[in-house]
Amino acid sequence: MVGYLFGLWAALTLNFLLPRLLPGDPLAALLDPDSAGYVYDSAVRESLEAYYGLDAPPVEQYLHYLAGLFTGDLGQSIRLKQPVAAVLGDHLPWTLLLTLTALGLASVIGIWSGAEAAWRRGSPMDKALTAAGVVIGNIPVFFTGMILLIIFGATLNWFPLSGGRTAFARYASAFDAVRDYAEHLFLPALTLTLALLSSKFLLVRGSMIGVLSEDFILVARAKGLPAGRIKHHHALRNALLPFVHHLAAHAGFALTGALFIEALFDYPGMGRLIFESVAARDYPVIQGAFVVVSVFVLSANRLADWLTMRLDPRIREG
Amino acid sequence: MRSNFLKAQTQLPERTFVREARRASGTEGLIGVSLLAVFVTAALFAPLLAPYDPAAFVGRPLERPGAAFLLGTNDVGQDILSELLFGARVSLVVAVGAAVGTVLLGLLVGGVAGYLGGWVDAALMRGVDVLLALPQLPLIILITTLTGAGLAQMTLTMALLFSPGMARIIRAQMFNQRGRAYVKIAQRFGASPLYIFRRHMLPHLAPLLIVGLVTAAGRAAAMEAGLAFLGLGDPSAKSWGLMMRYALNLPGLLLTDRWLWWLLPPGLCITLLILALTFTGMRLEKRLNPGGQSS
Repeated sequence: MVGYLFGLWAALTLNFLLPRLLPGDPLAALLDPDSAGYVYDSAVRESLEAYYGLDAPPVEQYLHYLAGLFTGDLGQSIRLKQPVAAVLGDHLPWTLLLTLTALGLASVIGIWSGAEAAWRRGSPMDKALTAAGVVIGNIPVFFTGMILLIIFGATLNWFPLSGGRTAFARYASAFDAVRDYAEHLFLPALTLTLALLSSKFLLVRGSMIGVLSEDFILVARAKGLPAGRIKHHHALRNALLPFVHHLAAHAGFALTGALFIEALFDYPGMGRLIFESVAARDYPVIQGAFVVVSVFVLSANRLADWLTMRLDPRIREG
Repeated sequence: MRSNFLKAQTQLPERTFVREARRASGTEGLIGVSLLAVFVTAALFAPLLAPYDPAAFVGRPLERPGAAFLLGTNDVGQDILSELLFGARVSLVVAVGAAVGTVLLGLLVGGVAGYLGGWVDAALMRGVDVLLALPQLPLIILITTLTGAGLAQMTLTMALLFSPGMARIIRAQMFNQRGRAYVKIAQRFGASPLYIFRRHMLPHLAPLLIVGLVTAAGRAAAMEAGLAFLGLGDPSAKSWGLMMRYALNLPGLLLTDRWLWWLLPPGLCITLLILALTFTGMRLEKRLNPGGQSS
């Protein structure tokens, strides 16, 4: 818990220090009429001045910044002329929808295929799956996404090329709405699932192989238990222990993978927001995105540790 | 099903697993090193191999592949094949630079922490843990947006953010070696810390450093491509990721078959480079067996 809070504090402090300490004075450029980054909109400029408060002494700026965080004040977007917290609130649900869908799919497929591959270790299926797992796990997500987009989006026309829903659509029924969202979600979620799948498969396979070589499996076999019961009841249940930790810890990786995928598919989540803000040098939004993603990743890691401790008596008591 | 049971029990599981892994890694290693050789050749001899200056406007915009331009031209009439060949330089320079930086920084922090131990170690490792826990991509995006997308600062940032993992591995190995009798004896004979480090620690760290170098290179190549893809590439050094970004910026790219020679080749190149580095790293890891467990 102490480590978690320390990490959180470090992320927030880094977020305060980076724009002020990095060379090039990016913040001063926003307020300097002679620079390329000058913000012409006077209302936005004033809110920026108020948020960063660069005239105040550093300690005062820091305290002001921390106090603002607790009230959800992340500054004002230069590009959208809206509070950063509101902008992030609009985009976060899309990213969570994409990330959680992919994590769920990848977990189900990864557990099932990993268990089967370990059960038939050395078989052609196992070898093919393991090789595919290593290769697919190392392909950059934007390349996988690009290939899927070209095949299923552009060539076969099965799925929309971009966006999170049909623009200005008015749905006749709830079913139509769900269908439209699902069609837009399909390719991005498939891309992310593929990216997450290989590590889950390899983890379950390895863990299952370890459990299968233990004595209690031998006893179960000697008792003449049916194979399916040994596989699912005895082996897989124990093999899933490291998976629980992995799943939570991997949530951060999934979230950052989603950022690339959204930029490719124009999916309206945090990734596209970051992509568009980078082009506009919208520092407050990028900083806000960093804070939000950091909080999520740190919390997921904390959750992973907590779950493992709850589930594994060896660690809890040890 | 039953016969699988019997087979699994008559074989010695550990032995077959090792043999399996070794056979697989031999092929992987060969593929990895050959691909790597191709990319290094392309990067070194790019000026000789490329038909045109990659920055020069040599043809009409968006020409289809033909005798004059094997992969056609981009939206401003630059030769795509030449861009591709010179792009290998950008990826490899970032990969090598970030990898060397990662290993050197990791060696410095991990070495000091591992050698001194005590509160220095505790303080350094706290910092390492924090940096490891933070999400790297958003942090790199934030830093690159603030500093501007230069190749040098991007490489440096990556080295800074990749090195904590390296430092932790090196520290563990140092702790492992520090307590050994021969190190204690050397200390009693009055050997300086630097001498002990060079003479006794470094040989044990070498396999770790080599594997770490290749792994970091793979991560850096992927990260550079990803950042360029997000629009954070150095426009003065056109990498494969940036080529993809420019191609995707063309409205309706996917509605024609242009993606076939403009988008696909750079994507394939960066993917193969990452796979080559990963395979080479996996092979080296099994071959050198860092960490020192017997196989």
